[in-house]
Formats: sequence, C-alpha cells, structure tokens
Amino acid sequence: MMKDNVKSKGQILSGEGVDYKAIFQAVPSAVRVVDTDFNVIIANPPMAALSGQSLEASVGRKCFDTFKGERCHTKDCPLTRVQKTKTAMKAEVVKERQDGTKLICVCLAAPLFNREGMLTGMVESFEDITKQRQAEALRATSSYTRSLIEASLDPLVTIGADGKIMDVNKATELVTGVSRERLIGTDFSNYFTEPEKAREGYKKVFSEGSVTDYPLTIRHTSERTTDVLYNAAVYKDEAGKVQGVFAAARDITERKKTEEALAKQTEIIQRQAREILEISTPVMQVWEGVLVAPLIGTLDSQRTQQFMERLLERIVESNSPMALVDVTGVPTIDTQTAQHLIDTISAVRLLGAQVILTGIRPAIAQTLVHLGVDLSGITTRSSLSGGLLVAMDSLGLQVATSKRTNGKEA
Amino acid sequence: MEAENISVVKVRDVLMVTVPPDPDDETISALQDQVLQAMEQYQVKGLVLDISTVETLDSFFARTVVETVQMVALMGGRTVVAGMRPSVAITATQFGLTLGNALTALDVDRALYMVSDRHQEKSHGTKPRA
Amino acid sequence: MVLSQGLDRAIAIRSEEDIVAARKLARRAAEALGFGITDVTRIVTSTSALARNIFLYAGSGIMQWRRLEVGTGGIELKFEDNGPGIADIKQAMEGGRSTRSGLGGGLLGVQRLMDEMEINSQVGKGTIVTVRKWLTR
Repeated sequence: MMKDNVKSKGQILSGEGVDYKAIFQAVPSAVRVVDTDFNVIIANPPMAALSGQSLEASVGRKCFDTFKGERCHTKDCPLTRVQKTKTAMKAEVVKERQDGTKLICVCLAAPLFNREGMLTGMVESFEDITKQRQAEALRATSSYTRSLIEASLDPLVTIGADGKIMDVNKATELVTGVSRERLIGTDFSNYFTEPEKAREGYKKVFSEGSVTDYPLTIRHTSERTTDVLYNAAVYKDEAGKVQGVFAAARDITERKKTEEALAKQTEIIQRQAREILEISTPVMQVWEGVLVAPLIGTLDSQRTQQFMERLLERIVESNSPMALVDVTGVPTIDTQTAQHLIDTISAVRLLGAQVILTGIRPAIAQTLVHLGVDLSGITTRSSLSGGLLVAMDSLGLQVATSKRTNGKEA
Repeated sequence: MEAENISVVKVRDVLMVTVPPDPDDETISALQDQVLQAMEQYQVKGLVLDISTVETLDSFFARTVVETVQMVALMGGRTVVAGMRPSVAITATQFGLTLGNALTALDVDRALYMVSDRHQEKSHGTKPRA
Repeated sequence: MVLSQGLDRAIAIRSEEDIVAARKLARRAAEALGFGITDVTRIVTSTSALARNIFLYAGSGIMQWRRLEVGTGGIELKFEDNGPGIADIKQAMEGGRSTRSGLGGGLLGVQRLMDEMEINSQVGKGTIVTVRKWLTR
C-alpha cells in the first residue's frame, strides 16, 4: 500500500501521466489560459466564480468578452504586454463581472512557449482585492476624520445609549485631566460639577434629537472647573437606529470673564452716576431746622424721584421742618417731572415738614398750572432769600440788624 | 388671629398711640375703638399717633386715620400724626392717599408740643394747609 | 437671589388674614430681589390694594409672583379671581380719583406705583391684574 501511495505521489510529481488538468482545476486562484488571438483556451472553477461566467461559456470566446476590464484593447492590457515583451508582469486591474459589478484585482500574467520556444499563448491569474482596497480607503478617511477630531480644541465626546463614554478626543482628556483609556466606559456625568444637570441634558438630547448651548461646568481632577456650553445631537447607524450622542463643548470661561468685567464696569458707572446726582442736587442744612436744596439744570423724571427720596431722608435725619427747594436754575420741566415735584411737596407735608418753593421761572409756572392740580397749598417765593425769611419766621426766628456788625451807615 | 399690640398711653393731657409696623385691618379698627374709649375716659386734649415704625400704609389705614381725626375733633380734641417714614410718605402720595386735615409732625416731641395748650400759631411743628 | 428660592410662589386670598400674608410675601419677595426700601413699599402697597380688591369683589382668588429675568430684572405679581369681572375698566381706574380722603389709591394708584399694569377681565368670568416693577440697577 505504501508503495502505491508513493508511486501515485511520484506519478504526480515525476511528470509521467501527471494530471495537469486536475492540478489546474485545483489551483486556488482564478486562472485562465488565453491564446495569441485572445481566445480563452481553458479556465478553472475559481476563474468562473470570479468572472461570473461559466467555464462552458468562457472557453472558445474572447478574453475581453468573458471577463472584461478597463485595460482591454489598450496597450496596458497585461496580456498584450506579455505577448509583446514575452515576459511576465503583475498589475492591479479593474475588472467587471458578468453581472456588471466592478472588481479590483491583482493580475499576474505570464507567456506560454511551446517546445520550439514560440509564444503560443498567455496565462493569467487574478486575486480579488476589492474588499481590501475598500477597507484601506475607509481607514484613510477615518484617519483623516480622526485627525480632525483630535485637532479640535473643543472637547468632543461620544456617549452610548447607556450613558457611558464611548470615545473622546485630546481636548476632553485635557479638560477633565483623565486619560482616554480611563474615560471610556465610565459614566459621562461624573466629570461635571452638577452630574444631575448633565444627565438631564443627555436625556433632553435623546428626547428632542439635539440640544444647543446647554450650560454645564466640567470638573478637572485638580478641582479646577471650566464653564462650557454643550451642543449635542444623536447619531444613527445606516438603518436609522440611534447609536448614541455626539457632544461638543464650547469653553465660555473667557466670555464669562468678559461679562463679569462688563458688569463691574456698569456698576462703577452707575455708582458714579448716583454720586454725580448727589453732587448736582445737594441738600444742605443752613440752620437748625432749615434745609436748602438748589436744583440746577434739567430735571428728568428719574432724577426728580431720586431727589425726592433724598430730600425726605435728609428731613427726617436732620429733623428739619423747613425745606427750601430753589428752582431758579431749572429752566423748564415736563409734566411728569412737575408731578413729581408736587408729589415731593405733598410727601414732605405727610412727614410733618414743609416745602417752600422758590425761584419759579415762567415756563415752570406754566407747566405747574397746566397740570391742573391744587397749588393753593404750596408756599412759594420768588427768591431764595424770600423763602428763607418765611422759614425763619415759621421757626420763630427773626433777622435783626446789629449796629456793631454793620459798620457803614447805608 | 390676635390684634397686634397697640400701645395707648396718657402723657399729661395728651393721648399717645404707637402703631405697630404692619398692622392688619383688625388692629387698625381696634385702634380707633381704643382711642375713642380713652378719649372719653381720660378727658385729654388730643391724640398723638406715632407711626414711626409703620412700614405699610394702605387705603384702609389711611381712611381709619382720617375718620379717627374727625371723631377726635368732634369730641373737642386735636390729632397729630407723627414720624411717618419717607418711603411710606412717597408711596402714599403717589398712590393717592391723603390724611385729610390731619396735622403731621416730624417726631413725637414736636407732636406733643403741637397738641398741647402751649401750641400757638407759630410752633416748632408745622401746620400744613389742607 | 438665593433667598427668593425658599419663598412660596403663590398664596390663596380668602380672608383678611390672607391679605396680610400676601403683603408679607410681597415684601419678602421684593426685598429678596434687591428692591430699595421705597420700591418695596410701593410693591407692598400695591399688593395690599389688589389683594383687598380680590377679597372685596370676588371673595376669593390667588396671588402669584415671579422674578423677571430680562434686563436688570424685576418682579411680576399676578392677582387672579373668578369674581364678577370689571365691565368698564376705564371707569374702574378713574374711580380711584375719589376726593373722599383715604379712598384714594385703587387701580389708578397702583398704576402710579408700578411700572406696568395689565388688566384682563370678563364680566361673569373673572379678573386678572398683572403688575410689574423693574429694578433700576
């Protein structure tokens, strides 16, 4: 028995009665033999499978009809080249199957010589590398996309449907202080100062499809915090099934700093405005029980109301029953301001004090009368000194001329 | 619901009533009753209403004060409302409330002086015209 | 601002005690929001008047308040009842001009104290009075 096996092996290998046809059929690659006129002489089963053309249909027909490619009929056709150069060659070719699908194949072609050394035909084999090429293209695109994601200065993160981090970029590692490996698989809400709020935002993305400008604060392992606004959206696979959430954070620390600085400045401006108001509408105590408030310039509604509050406060504070309000320096007022002036007089009365209005200019007199309010209760004088006399009189004071101080006669 | 503390004190020949910071309607009505009772009981010359701690002045309060002033006047007395706060005075004025003919004073001392017999035309208080 | 978070946002007005409670709530809310003493007094006085109106004309109702976030911020108070409603709002406003002392105020007075006022009323259905005051800084 052993001898028979060896013999049969030897038969295959020694060349006597070698069943080359069987070998040809068994070769795992797609192979075919073509004559110098490009007729297909033989083809093996893998060739038939690759080309989509049965063996019976291939044999006897032209190679460019049974398994055509982009190089057919051109000088780049491997078979043509082999025929010409009488040497083997290798090329990457694009072929088309019987059903029209395109393939990328590595084509190895070699010349066939007869015993006399004459070229009788060409043999070519094909290896389908379509899938490989597609994978490479995909990897190239992914690595391009990946490098874009990594280049982004905004922290980017993908979160799965279970709320766990699936992937992050460098910026996320920097802002959290945690490495990519340690981040992946953990609950994304762990890295915020308000985990509940982060989870709510995540839920919102799922229920509404996306979320914009959602404010959160990221916490670094060093306790440093970063205020951000999140823009997030769900992403789906080809079938439309939601895979997870893609979220991008925008650092608004600078913006917040600017806002705070602006708020501080506004506060300073407002404080200065108040101070200016106090300087421009002073309330001075000229005698025990007598206040004088000379109003100067344009009086608007707000300024008058603020003056009203300050005057009443001063009256109570200094216990002064007399307040002289001089409006010589106020050329005109609108009806609203006039009303506030009248309100001031009434309010002072409620306190238990009295306003004496002095220096009313014609325009103001007009506005006051046109208001139609009862002006009979208001004490007025044309000059501040006149008003002062009324005040003193009311307090039981008298102004007397002393012979000593008034040196001159006149 | 209890009426808050209204203190009614007789100071020589004047009744002094101190009103609490945020009196409710019941307290205000009680004030009027107590004043009238005391007026009869003590034969005083007048009433000083100290509102220096009052933070709110609504229409019911204002109306009751005006009525009390009128009632005290009918009984031969004089009323002075003392110590109104600036914020209350401004709000009441803008709101449209008045105390009618009630006299007002900056503080209780001046008010006492205004109510007493020694009060003449000229005084340290003020006599606002209606 | 943190202080205002602990306050009730609404209060039922069914009795005179509720008017006092409404005043107190309005005071605490206005103070918490940072209004000055005079504005607080204006807000409380308006609340007193509008709550009193609910009690007098509708018997019962609700007062609500909320913080206004826009601009400098402010306060909004809403007084709602299912009372008889106001047939002529204009007339109701002018009623405050009564010369009888102590009756001044009313809706017109509230309008003068507050920055904004809106009245929505339907006869037989009820009334909603909304008032707003803004912080000046």
